[in-house]
Amino acid sequence: MTMERIRKYVTLGNIIGLIIGLFLTWFVVAFLVYPNLNLLKAVFWVNGTFSIEPIQKLLHSTRALKSLLNSFILAVSMVVTVNIIGIFLVFVNEYFDIKGSRLLRIGYYTTLVYSGIVLVSGYKFLYGEQGFITKFLSNMFPFFPAGWFHGYWAVIFVMTFACTSNHVLFLTNAIRKIDFQTVEAARNMGASSFYILRRVVLPVLQPTLFAITILLFLTGLGATSAPLIVGGTEFQTITPMILAFSKSPTSRDMAAVLAIFLGAATLILLIFLRKIEKKGNYISVSKVKSEIQKQKIGNKWLNALVHVLAYLLFIVYALPVLLTITFSFTDAYSISTSTLSWSHFTIANYRMLFTEADAYQPYIISIVYSAAAAILVVALSLTVSRFLHKYSNICTTALEYAMLIPWLLPSTLIALGLIITYDTPRWILANNVLTGTMWILMIAYVIVLIPFTLRMLRAAFFAVDSSLEDAAKSLGASTFYTFRRVILPIVLPSTLAILALNFNSHLADYDLTIFLYHPLFKPLGIAIQNATSGQTTADTQALGLVYSVVLMVISTVTLYLVYGRKSKA
Amino acid sequence: MIEFKEVEIKYNDFTAVKSLNLQIGEGEFFTLLGPSGCGKTTTLRSLVGFINPSRGAIYVNGKDITHLPVEKRDISMVFQSYALFPTLNVYENIAFGLKVKKMPKEQIDAEVRAIAQKVDLKSEQLLKKVSELSGGQQQRVAIARALVLKPSMLVLDEPLSNLDASLRVQLRNELKSLQKKFGITTIYVTHDQEEALTLSDRIAVFNHGVVEQVGTPYEIYNQSATEFVCNFIGDINKLGRTLLEKVTAASGKTFDLSKVAYLRTERVHTLVPDRNSAGFAKMKASVTEAEYYGLYTKYTFEIDGASLKKVEIEDGRNHYVKGNQMDIYIHPDDILQY
Repeated sequence: MTMERIRKYVTLGNIIGLIIGLFLTWFVVAFLVYPNLNLLKAVFWVNGTFSIEPIQKLLHSTRALKSLLNSFILAVSMVVTVNIIGIFLVFVNEYFDIKGSRLLRIGYYTTLVYSGIVLVSGYKFLYGEQGFITKFLSNMFPFFPAGWFHGYWAVIFVMTFACTSNHVLFLTNAIRKIDFQTVEAARNMGASSFYILRRVVLPVLQPTLFAITILLFLTGLGATSAPLIVGGTEFQTITPMILAFSKSPTSRDMAAVLAIFLGAATLILLIFLRKIEKKGNYISVSKVKSEIQKQKIGNKWLNALVHVLAYLLFIVYALPVLLTITFSFTDAYSISTSTLSWSHFTIANYRMLFTEADAYQPYIISIVYSAAAAILVVALSLTVSRFLHKYSNICTTALEYAMLIPWLLPSTLIALGLIITYDTPRWILANNVLTGTMWILMIAYVIVLIPFTLRMLRAAFFAVDSSLEDAAKSLGASTFYTFRRVILPIVLPSTLAILALNFNSHLADYDLTIFLYHPLFKPLGIAIQNATSGQTTADTQALGLVYSVVLMVISTVTLYLVYGRKSKA
Repeated sequence: MIEFKEVEIKYNDFTAVKSLNLQIGEGEFFTLLGPSGCGKTTTLRSLVGFINPSRGAIYVNGKDITHLPVEKRDISMVFQSYALFPTLNVYENIAFGLKVKKMPKEQIDAEVRAIAQKVDLKSEQLLKKVSELSGGQQQRVAIARALVLKPSMLVLDEPLSNLDASLRVQLRNELKSLQKKFGITTIYVTHDQEEALTLSDRIAVFNHGVVEQVGTPYEIYNQSATEFVCNFIGDINKLGRTLLEKVTAASGKTFDLSKVAYLRTERVHTLVPDRNSAGFAKMKASVTEAEYYGLYTKYTFEIDGASLKKVEIEDGRNHYVKGNQMDIYIHPDDILQY
């Protein structure tokens, strides 16, 4: 009887399940839990006793305190500036009747493909001391200061226009969901356009705006590339400071304290965000919903002002993209002098990208890193999603929560946790050292992608009608056959879309890469940043522009494949 | 033959099915009928093998299948949503189970085409996506996919519940004729009494995890064993003390006034039924409401303060309006007491 029972449980399926379960447990402990706990230990556990010495050290460091203050200043300023610009953009696109809004939309949507390090380096190229736009403005207004583009104002300028993507994505979606009949009802009761906007439309958008505001605050606190590249010495924020401190063993503990501080702030704000989400959005109660119709601005002066501002913003958004593309087709002379003339146009920069190993190496490195990370994280999340879909018990719940840990932590903290933990041999990695190897960046890329991938794939799995699986089972199919022939084909389109978005998101990553990249294998983000530094040659600068253009093309194609075709279907 | 013996099914602390004893004969069209949450689908899923009973046993032709894996039970299921695989075409859906059995390609092809013909699916429809088919065609694919495996029985879980009324009637007839054509033992789950009455050879009425009555549609309707069955099937009047006393006064038959009494709405007559006018109780009534449905009219009468509903087929001759006074007739034997 006992043997029979043992035989019943020792099936091939159960053995494979156990092996996968053990692997997942190891992965969670080794990469999601242990490094972060070890980071806490490194800060608060000095020479075997509890200590707050690193915190005291930090409190005595004027540089560190200044960076903390600067981060808060940046976060608060951004909340104001980005919300003003973001709300304006969305209302111009979706709510008010503005002439040429389709063209304006193209300009405003550029941040979806022209973002991160590409945007920051592009802005530096155009607005920097030798930049095309600065030169143009200096020529127009002789008193215009050529060196205006650094410090707080440069950072806030870059961040303001770089961070409107959330508005473009989420606020647009929210405004499109407004039941237009509520607007008509208000008008029917005699309300003016702006009264309706204030009392009917904006309150419905309030939860979305709150959520965007919190994300903005977090973006401001953890800003990396903008303060690093255009902040200069006078405007250093937390992340550049963590990067500086982490390079020396004597100040690593301070870097860890700053990272923990960033992590704690993120955690608190995310809890707050969750509370807002729980309160829920306003759900339309009308049975027959009608789509929003664009509102004419009654006052002609106000209408004219809104049109002027809308087109000025269009120029601000579109010009860097257009000039980056244009200058990528010019020679070293044009680029170094920021001048344009027909005789200096060339495709040599692009030829260089495809023919010279030094030029295409960052591309190959980034493509390999991004593709491998995207495939690994999708494979991992598929396995976990299948577990979560099939079994519901305390172990799978714990696994799910553990997998979402990286969502709560800023990438800086994750990077630092890995660096500090795996700079010595650890038994959990079979006594291997990760810090300084090319693997650490790959692992970090995988870790930060887990929450998004898992949430999306989990949703895809749970959307599959459970009777399909029952049907396959009743037709005699094994669990694996059912997964391969029935479940996987259904979740495959979502899986491929997630794969593409993941690939795209790391292709020009900078924030995580700057902490973990191997000096001999410089990815694109680093190459683009190097191209913007003052000491580079015009050829390197040209390559930076080419990298940016090709990245924009890849991002556009990816977004089209993922969203464009879906919206047509 | 299928036999449930003392089967109990639990979801944690909740007992969904309590001490179920049931026998289903070879080739029978057997329906499990009851309201939502009564345990009928749970019973069906335990028969297919998706749920394990916490107590008792299930036998098929004398063999205990209680703990046999789903794929070894030789039972095919048609799901409420049909559960057609959206990524496979009609042909691939029907062939799915045969491929799992690793049947040779030529044989699969022959079997699929043969069953498709039997369920009236044209060969050009076989290459279509399942989403391109109408509701009726999808149902036929689901049935073909189940029958192609030549199972010992077919089980259907509310397969008509997602359809509109006219399609439901059409598919009900198709289902009945397919079952007769194949002669396969069929177990059908529904909450729709009309569906159960028209399709089944026998019905088991479920309530709170217990079978209240098993019988032919005629028995279930005319000889409802419990108050629940009597209330659940058909439209019915609950008779108060006043009406019962009036019937006793008019007919001489006495009733146990401590019990509840029911009378089906079509058993209230406005004309003396000529076949047996003798034992009827005659009472004065007035029409307080008339709901006209075309084929029939639903009347509400008032008899000395008590109200009574009646359904009358419209014959084009006897139609009453609010305020009409008339005699109505009730046979005391038609009154059911529980």
